[in-house]
Amino acid sequence: MLGQVLFSGLALGSIYGLVALGFVVIFKATEVFNFAQGMLVVCGAFFAYTGIMLLGLPFPMTIVFIVLAAAILGAFIHAFLIQPLAGRSMLSIIMVTIALSIVIRAVLEITYGPQGKTLQTPLPTGIFLVGDLRISQLHLTAALVSWSCMAMFGAFFKFTSVGLLMRATADSHEAAVVSGININVMNRLAWAIGSVLAAVGGLFLGQLQLASTELESIGLLALPAVVIGGMQSIPGAIIGGLLVGLIEQLSATYISPKSSDIFIYVLLMLILMVRPWGLFGQQELGRV
Amino acid sequence: MKVNQFKRKLFMGIVVSAALAMTSFTAQAQYENPGDGVYKDRIDWGVMMDMSGPTSASQGIWVNGFQDYMRKINDAGGVGGRKINVLAEDSRFNAAQDKISYEKLTMQTPVMGISGFGTSGSQVALAPVVKSGKVPVIGTYTTTKAFSEPVSPLVYGGFCGYPQMAKTGIGYFVDKLKLKAPKVMVVSIESAGGVEYAEYIAEVVKKYGGTSKAVTMKVTAADVTPQVLEIIKEKPDFITIYGVSNTSILTMRTMHQYGLKIPAFGISYLGAPQIFSAIGDAAGENYVFMSCFTPGGADQSPGNKDLTAIADKFGRAGMKEDINYVAGWVTGQMVAEQIAKLGGEPTRAKLVDMMSKGFSVDTKGLAAPMVYTKDDHTGPSVLRAVGYDYKTKKFVSYGEYTDYLKYLK
Repeated sequence: MLGQVLFSGLALGSIYGLVALGFVVIFKATEVFNFAQGMLVVCGAFFAYTGIMLLGLPFPMTIVFIVLAAAILGAFIHAFLIQPLAGRSMLSIIMVTIALSIVIRAVLEITYGPQGKTLQTPLPTGIFLVGDLRISQLHLTAALVSWSCMAMFGAFFKFTSVGLLMRATADSHEAAVVSGININVMNRLAWAIGSVLAAVGGLFLGQLQLASTELESIGLLALPAVVIGGMQSIPGAIIGGLLVGLIEQLSATYISPKSSDIFIYVLLMLILMVRPWGLFGQQELGRV
Repeated sequence: MKVNQFKRKLFMGIVVSAALAMTSFTAQAQYENPGDGVYKDRIDWGVMMDMSGPTSASQGIWVNGFQDYMRKINDAGGVGGRKINVLAEDSRFNAAQDKISYEKLTMQTPVMGISGFGTSGSQVALAPVVKSGKVPVIGTYTTTKAFSEPVSPLVYGGFCGYPQMAKTGIGYFVDKLKLKAPKVMVVSIESAGGVEYAEYIAEVVKKYGGTSKAVTMKVTAADVTPQVLEIIKEKPDFITIYGVSNTSILTMRTMHQYGLKIPAFGISYLGAPQIFSAIGDAAGENYVFMSCFTPGGADQSPGNKDLTAIADKFGRAGMKEDINYVAGWVTGQMVAEQIAKLGGEPTRAKLVDMMSKGFSVDTKGLAAPMVYTKDDHTGPSVLRAVGYDYKTKKFVSYGEYTDYLKYLK
């Protein structure tokens, strides 16, 4: 039983880590705590529904459609909502992201209706046995794809020139400007990447259940993942996601489903009180 | 001369009668009682349901069914020359929000009555306020004990009740599987309704000499491996599911992944086409739901034909098969019929008084006959098992409503 629970915790945690990674990319670039990240997950699920069920696209084309639509959405949000607020207070920007999530929810419910939508994808839904362990193929696929996306974006940031420019911009906007980097383009790219990562998470969560606006609350589990792992740490976001997934499944199995909220958010509170930069983040030192 | 006098008297008599009739009609048409939600041209009626939140997939559809029935009535001229104006408040799966909505509908913009009350927590929290107030609640979503016991002249059920779902479902599977001492598991979300449902199941199972156990899951769970592992451990004869769409989908899918073919029945509002579609045919063959309403398009009864025609006309073809749409429609019918009986000067007090004496609703085949008596305000109480034919993509009812009466005794 423990093995089973650990596997499902790690699989779910991989999806949370993917969404959390998107969150960190946005935060590192623009220092925006994006409360709309959960709704970007939902958008991913509905992009998948639109591509497969409404447009009748083959699955590979649907993936391209999801990536493009999410990237455009992320870039649009930065260009028209976040960039105009540059220099404003953190509170204003946070309120914008909260309002954005409410608006996206309403638009989706008006456009698609309140009923959840079934995703009919060719993603595998069977299981295979490894001893006593039953491995859900869908969970395994979700975990492998999540890890691949994380590795791909890790490589992008480390080995490509654009990735280098984005890292430079995230480290210091002033130095980037002086170096001639167009920080608005870099930030827009960060939002596009963050949205794509959330959308991929949404595709899998929508396939696990239904494409519905209720996926937002699952997507928002990325927030404690990010705080626990470290808001500025990419490895931290991934590890934080895995930790949240494991805590959720272990507490639901051995105590009760509701207790998982207690354990996740008590850990979040402890981290904020004792090590606010997260398990893998770096403490910021200010010099007077 | 006498003929002329007679003709004159006849003419005067006609004129006077016409004048009296006109006066009466004018008085009626001008009758208003805003405190009861009654105006010259409309009657305000409140609806409180979750139109957003985790239960909106079911309850939003119910609201559509209710509104569509009222629209049908209004398009035909309304009731007694007055249109029924539906004021729908979004409960947002939040009892506190319902308190605000209730006060709005009873004090700020008073309505003649309210339908819905979809959140079980709201029913429990507001039952004392509703029962001591003046605004009747007609056609509740699944009625909790707090609302239904003791019987109140202000509350009338409009959906299949949990006790009836439990009795029908357990009885159906005990007979179908030929069980002597059934072992049953309840998979439910953590809510007031879930706790109550598990209690009803336990009560019914005990009468059959069996045992039951409940496992819970979060409303927004993404995975139910822990719950299914518990099912594997307990090895029940069958399970019953209470919750939202995801509860059924995740449970049935995960059981299928574990190779479990345990039969399951869901509560009535887990009878939506997209649930069966998401579960898939391999797992779906083990899943039915208990329903007091017939899905739209499932048969050719006059009531079903009428619903189907209107749903298609209003662009709701995709919703008509959803049991929640049918339930909202039937509740609309019940409300409109009771208002129609009040005549030209309807008042809330008259409505409450009239209904408390008892009435029935003939849904013309959409449901078993709904009979309300002085002591029984349950409403639709006869259910039957409904499954899904994946080949024809249509709902399939197993037997007639009368076949299931024996389980309610």
